[in-house]
Amino acid sequence: MIPRLHFLGAMVAAFCVSGSVAAAEPAVIEGRVTLPAGREAPVLNQRYEIVSKGGVVAPNPPVAVVFLAGDFPAAEAQPVARMLQKDLAFEPRILPVRVGTKVEFPNLDPTYHNVFSYSKPKRFDLGRYRADEEPVPYQIFDTPGLVTLRCDIHEHMRAVILVLETPHFVVTDTDGRFQLTGIAPGAYTLKAWISSASTLERAVELADGARLEVNLE
Amino acid sequence: VKTGRTQAPPQAARFRRRLLAATMLLLCALTAAAFLVVRRGIARGEAQALEREFAAVLDRLQAVRQMRRAALVERARALAGKARIHAAIEDGALDLLYPSALDELRDAVAPPRIADPAAAAGALRARFYRFLDRDGSVIPPPGGEAAAGALPPELEARLALPGVSQHVQTGYIAGARSGAGVSEVFATPILSTETGEPIAALVLGFEPPRLVSERSGLVAGIRVGDTLVIPGLDPAATAQLLALLPDDDARSGGAAAGARRFETGLDGASWLVFTQPLNPGSLYPPAHEVCLFPLAAMQARQRRAGLQIVGAGAGLLALGFLGSHRLAARFSRPVATLELESHEQRVQRRRAEAELEATSAELERAARFSADASHQLKTPVTVLRAGLEEILARGAVPTHEAEEIAALIHQTYRLSSVIEDLLLLSRVDAGHLRVAADEVDLALLIASSLDDLDASPDELGLEVTADVPPALRISGERRYVALILQNLLENARKYNLPGGRIRIAASEAAGRVHLTVGNTALRPIPPESQPHIFERFHRAAMGENIPGYGIGLNLARELARLHGGDLRLLRSDADWTEFEVSFRSYPATRPHP
Repeated sequence: MIPRLHFLGAMVAAFCVSGSVAAAEPAVIEGRVTLPAGREAPVLNQRYEIVSKGGVVAPNPPVAVVFLAGDFPAAEAQPVARMLQKDLAFEPRILPVRVGTKVEFPNLDPTYHNVFSYSKPKRFDLGRYRADEEPVPYQIFDTPGLVTLRCDIHEHMRAVILVLETPHFVVTDTDGRFQLTGIAPGAYTLKAWISSASTLERAVELADGARLEVNLE
Repeated sequence: VKTGRTQAPPQAARFRRRLLAATMLLLCALTAAAFLVVRRGIARGEAQALEREFAAVLDRLQAVRQMRRAALVERARALAGKARIHAAIEDGALDLLYPSALDELRDAVAPPRIADPAAAAGALRARFYRFLDRDGSVIPPPGGEAAAGALPPELEARLALPGVSQHVQTGYIAGARSGAGVSEVFATPILSTETGEPIAALVLGFEPPRLVSERSGLVAGIRVGDTLVIPGLDPAATAQLLALLPDDDARSGGAAAGARRFETGLDGASWLVFTQPLNPGSLYPPAHEVCLFPLAAMQARQRRAGLQIVGAGAGLLALGFLGSHRLAARFSRPVATLELESHEQRVQRRRAEAELEATSAELERAARFSADASHQLKTPVTVLRAGLEEILARGAVPTHEAEEIAALIHQTYRLSSVIEDLLLLSRVDAGHLRVAADEVDLALLIASSLDDLDASPDELGLEVTADVPPALRISGERRYVALILQNLLENARKYNLPGGRIRIAASEAAGRVHLTVGNTALRPIPPESQPHIFERFHRAAMGENIPGYGIGLNLARELARLHGGDLRLLRSDADWTEFEVSFRSYPATRPHP
């Protein structure tokens, strides 16, 4: 799962880089985010990855979303992402997207799902639909923030979409390692979203073709 | 002195009365005891039946209540797990909470969406619902209460809890103005899907079940705080009952106050009141179920049973009285007979005693008279004989006169002998005669008696034989034994045939000597006279020409008896009369009788 995310992130990054900064040599930020200790979840709950505890939403086992805050030109084309419903679970559990992304919600299970969100940045209700629903139900996320996804039919299904104002973002692996590539030189703030209550950040200066090692803790 | 059965003698009547009284008393006591026992038994049985019925009804109601509660709680749990409600609470969308809940609770809340108590009656549909936040405070429904069911603000405030618990909390809320009645509320925790922690609570308010048992008349109500709601009970009676209930309203006393029961009069009828906590351990204020069980039916049954027992007892008593009367009569009959007999016996005894006394006095008089008479007679006879003998001795009388005088003298001798006999008899009769126990040689005595017999002038020509062992000694007094012998021989001679026989035989056996004197008889003693020959002055109708005064045999027998023996007639038929006299052998082996 994590490699796929990396791949997706890299794809988006590559797309952005190729679209805006053509001449400059893209820079790379690598590093490790120190993650909080994972919760010893009961066996039954092992599959749950988005946990809301005391009003705080966090992935479990812990991963972080590392993204670069700064001024970026608007996207040339509307980015598209997919949030699958597969094996009675959302896939991926955590999905960072740039503002304005169209997220599709295909149902790959042989049963109904009803994806909805009550989160302030995006409230929606896709209603019930099956795998053969055409076109694939989608939502455009144009307000930055954390959107919790639920299924009205399957109460245990949970996922979050983190709507960000940057094209540079990536989900760490469970060790906290990340790599952001294709970044135009400049001054940014590197942020690591750990939970709805906790975000780490650090200012970074990127030179042409730089390869920066940054650890966030 | 036969008396009729109806006229019992006084003592028997008294016995009968006493017996009757005792039996009746016993009967009364037994009946009373039985009455008490049976009555107590019936009362106990009734109480047990009531207990059973009460317990059964209560169990049924409890089962209904618990099933209902289980159903409601299950339903509330299901609702509390709904994703939209979780989303509204967890994703910071409280504004969407009630609208979402409305969708989810559509079938749980009474239709129409505005909860209508009348329409919700008896259904498992809620009157209202509210959410509590993590701290237990009520989250007010937005946009009016149409969505969540009408609830006065002061009641809504009572839904709040000090904190949301992991468990369902049951509560009963009632307003100060209890017009709305009591609502049964279940505060179901909404648990975090991931952590299981309570994040909020869903409170569903229901109309409490109307628990009424038609058959037994039991009605169940609810008391919470100062509010008591019992369906069908008017306000005055309700207030009265509320005052009777134990005051355990305080939260601290909620757990301590368990089930209680007492009897009370209410509304002019008797009721068994049962009260028990409805929500022990709940965070809501304690509420109690109050059951009223009418005792009227049981009391009526008991009264009826009591009357039946009294009736049965009276019947039994009457029967018992009759029976005891019979019994007394039956038992007193032998007593009456006994008393009658004893009465007769007493009378007879008294008479006999009087007769005996009279007889004894007469006898004594007679004996005295005989003795006196004999003594008075002896002297003149002696004087007479002496005079006659003197005349004869003078020789101055002619020969034929002398013969007459000699005959007269002989008569005086006979007279003397008779007087002697009488004198002796009178002494026997008076009991003055004592017989010595000397040795008497009977053989010798018989021999001398036979000599005398031979010496007597005898023109009959009798043949006398004697078969007597030589040494035959008896115990007695010689002169009296001689007198007996003399009397018997005299009789044998007197009543004999001319040329007849006399036979004397004696033998000894077993300490007794038997002597028989038999003779050929002129005429046998008639059988009808035989029992009387030993009576005094009895002379058988046989020899008017034969001299005697009917004293001899009587005297002989008396004397024989005084010697410890007897004299009896052995036989008396056409040709033979035989007497037997018995004596004791000497030395006497047996004491004087």
